[in-house]
Amino acid sequence: MKKIISLLLALFMITCLVACGSDGSSGNKKGSSEIVIWVGEESAEFYQGVCDKYVEEHPDLGYTITVKGMDTGAVAGVVTNDPSAAADIYTTAHDNIGKLASTQCAKPFADESLINQVLADNPASFKNVIYSTLDGKEYLYGVPYISQALFLYYNKEKVTDEQAQSFEGLRQAAQAAGTKAITVTGDDGYNMSFALLATKVDDHSTSVKIYEGAEAVSGGSKGVSNCQGDDTVAIVRWLQEYAADPNGFKWASSDGWDADLRNNGALAVIGGAWHYNAAKAALGETNLGIALIPTFTLTESAVEGLSSVSAGDTYRGGTFADCKVFMLNAHSDPEKYTALQDIVKYLSSKEIQNESYVNCLNVPAYVGASEYIKSCYESSSVTESQYNLACMQVEMAEWGIPQPFLTGTLNTYYYSKNAPAVFRAMIDKTAYPTTGDQILEETESLEGVRKGLYLMEYLWMHGLNPSEFPASLPEQA
Amino acid sequence: MDNKINITSSMNNLLSRFTRRFKDGSIGTKLSHFIFGAGNIYHKQYIKGLLFLLLQIGIILFMVLCPEINNTPYGYKALLNLSLKNLSEGGAFDPTTGVFTHGSDCKLIILFGFVTIAVIIIYFILWDKNISSSFKADNDLKVGKKPSSFKQDLSELFDSKFHVTMLTPTCIAALVFTILPTIFMIALAFTTYNDQDMNEMGTNLFYWNGLNNFRAVFTGEGSLGIEIKNRFMPVLGWTFIWAIFATLTCYFGGIILALLINKKGLKGQKIFRTIFILTIAIPQFISLLAVRNLLGEYGPINGLLMNLGLTNSPIGFLGLRPGDSERLAKLMVIIINMWVGIPYTMLMTSGILMNIPQDLYEAARVDGASTIKMFFKITLPYVIFVTTPYLISSFVGNINSFNSIFLLTGGGPAYTGYQAGGTDLLVTWLYKVTIDQGSYNTGAVIGIFTFIITASITLLTYRRSKAYNQEDTFQ
Repeated sequence: MKKIISLLLALFMITCLVACGSDGSSGNKKGSSEIVIWVGEESAEFYQGVCDKYVEEHPDLGYTITVKGMDTGAVAGVVTNDPSAAADIYTTAHDNIGKLASTQCAKPFADESLINQVLADNPASFKNVIYSTLDGKEYLYGVPYISQALFLYYNKEKVTDEQAQSFEGLRQAAQAAGTKAITVTGDDGYNMSFALLATKVDDHSTSVKIYEGAEAVSGGSKGVSNCQGDDTVAIVRWLQEYAADPNGFKWASSDGWDADLRNNGALAVIGGAWHYNAAKAALGETNLGIALIPTFTLTESAVEGLSSVSAGDTYRGGTFADCKVFMLNAHSDPEKYTALQDIVKYLSSKEIQNESYVNCLNVPAYVGASEYIKSCYESSSVTESQYNLACMQVEMAEWGIPQPFLTGTLNTYYYSKNAPAVFRAMIDKTAYPTTGDQILEETESLEGVRKGLYLMEYLWMHGLNPSEFPASLPEQA
Repeated sequence: MDNKINITSSMNNLLSRFTRRFKDGSIGTKLSHFIFGAGNIYHKQYIKGLLFLLLQIGIILFMVLCPEINNTPYGYKALLNLSLKNLSEGGAFDPTTGVFTHGSDCKLIILFGFVTIAVIIIYFILWDKNISSSFKADNDLKVGKKPSSFKQDLSELFDSKFHVTMLTPTCIAALVFTILPTIFMIALAFTTYNDQDMNEMGTNLFYWNGLNNFRAVFTGEGSLGIEIKNRFMPVLGWTFIWAIFATLTCYFGGIILALLINKKGLKGQKIFRTIFILTIAIPQFISLLAVRNLLGEYGPINGLLMNLGLTNSPIGFLGLRPGDSERLAKLMVIIINMWVGIPYTMLMTSGILMNIPQDLYEAARVDGASTIKMFFKITLPYVIFVTTPYLISSFVGNINSFNSIFLLTGGGPAYTGYQAGGTDLLVTWLYKVTIDQGSYNTGAVIGIFTFIITASITLLTYRRSKAYNQEDTFQ
């Protein structure tokens, strides 16, 4: 009897184990009659409704459509981890295109009418970053449908609209409130783009170049970059001063940037539309102000020893002006290919992008979306803060550039090859380990800042620390 | 020297066994050396023979036909691919049909290669078993017994060989879920499998890299070379300090608490015991996150200290900001860990204390021993004797204590330019290196080092402990 029971138990366990296997619901299995789409969690319900309507209008489609909400920031990692289990169509930020294409997780779009729609509707700057190469040919890999850029959230209770226009104004408000003026949501390359991509208010100029012209010039094995210009040096020194000010800049606290806003730890934060709900929860909708990233004016000490910048020059904080894109899974059943492209064409149309703005606050990516946004406000389809959010994002996009990439995920150098850590070390005026036993001992003096920027630039171009610093650094790159 | 002799004699025994069976066996047994099940069929054990034959044919077909999953073959091609040479770099795409042909996938190549090796090993085990089966039938016939029928073999599996029936699924599960993944992970330590580098180069492929990843620990070469060179020893050192303190504080704290709770005459013993056990009942991560919030920058502890005017700015108890005190963070995690660790020891020690023979104490009292003397001469040795294996496993567990560190400090305070922070253990560092950085090869190296350290300590301490050497001799 004991043996029979033991055997039955063993069989039961094996059955359970087998039953735990995949249910095959990912939708990209050959012959599956289901198309699975991953969109942002906040938009899943809306897009499911849109897709249901699409299925109704296309009775000969031959597929059902299931929309699932995902953390779009994590989608690229999830897909590269196991592409065969990913959705047929997934959405992600455009800067993941290189990674997803080079790891063969994404399939190009080839439908002429879709390509024409994408080229006609979107800003020219997007066109440079939604194509990638496969087997020596250029293909469209991502179809934009949401634009995103950084802007400013601030506490309207303690900061006036006028003070929110400049870093100096914010500091004045912070002095009165006995706190810090501004924080950021992260210290990575994207969030710190407000400083590195700052442009002169007069003419939108900056000497910073990221991977530009890499194929034409062999400056670095991964491309050519430049962030050693006098203006960048001055901006870093200005931010060093601003961070050292008791009422200036602070890094987000260990409890999170929203805790800073909520607890009067900082009066403003530079963030994106995806931070809206958290910012609203921290300050309340009535106290939540939204503005362009403020301007700042270079001080005497920031420009000391620099020839091509002057005290009093005013810059506006910059941003990466990015887009979220629809992408096709390379592991998806080829039989679905035509249907998938038709669905993406529909979902990325201006009409659906507009509906997505009203329903989910996704700011449309197409050119001229601001007119529709304005009409929504006039017809009271959106609240004032929702309207401001969209307007500021659209306007900030004009002050920014899309994150570029050439092959693979070149922009990971910008993010993950310790370049952001070098930048943070400079702002904190701390030492930084460069290579082996070499240490960038100080980042406070003009030479220290120049060395730090040289290090960042080298990391961007080569993905490695330099073996040593050059004997003399260029005064003006 | 002894090992050498053992291996040689084992090989000789194996060889003589095969020679003997081939020489002394019937024609069927001789044929079994080439065709599985031939001996069984010769002895009219048809079902058994056919099963062996089918298995042989199946494995040979598997090896020759090389079935593919995601364009990656099994079989002999998988063995050839294990060299990780002549791989197909990119995919091919046909815009008219939407067909995307994938290039090689090194992860699958290595996995399938090892699966194929496992299949080959199984093939040789089956080869031996089929010869043994036939030879056994030969011997049965020689002594006038009838070779066992399939029905008899089956009923044996439920009788004298029931252990085989029960152990087979376990062994298969161990092979699939433990041994193969372990070998796979060890193999990665010898490759260039690093997500970031691969993505940046726009490739899905990686290659064998010899001992370079291990060498990087000492030389500082490679993409994480500086990190490993400068942070490996500090992290290793702190891992040991943490493991020693976390183990001993919880261990002796638990014993003291158990002694207090089990003290004769104490009222409400059950209530006290229940209160402490509640900390076990609450999921550990909830307790740890609650403490993290309590001690956070805007947490109530800092709020209280600032309101009382004891400090002007929040104290970085847990080293969550760069520049916070590393020593304070280390001290705090050790103290907080006592909260979640002591109740386990208390619970176990309570049981042990209740089982100490009372006559030992009575005899001691008669001899005039003091309470302290009785504690050090009877209670403590008894508890230590019984709990030595627990102490060792607890020490090893603390070396790999992910939750306490990751949830409390996140490894902080951060070191500028490094992944490994001030309170990172090897295991939390491993997490950052693999999950955050995608450096699976470096992660595998750290994993191997961690395994060597923990396995060595466990073996050495356990084999030297009284609990192992004098199992039945505690008096």
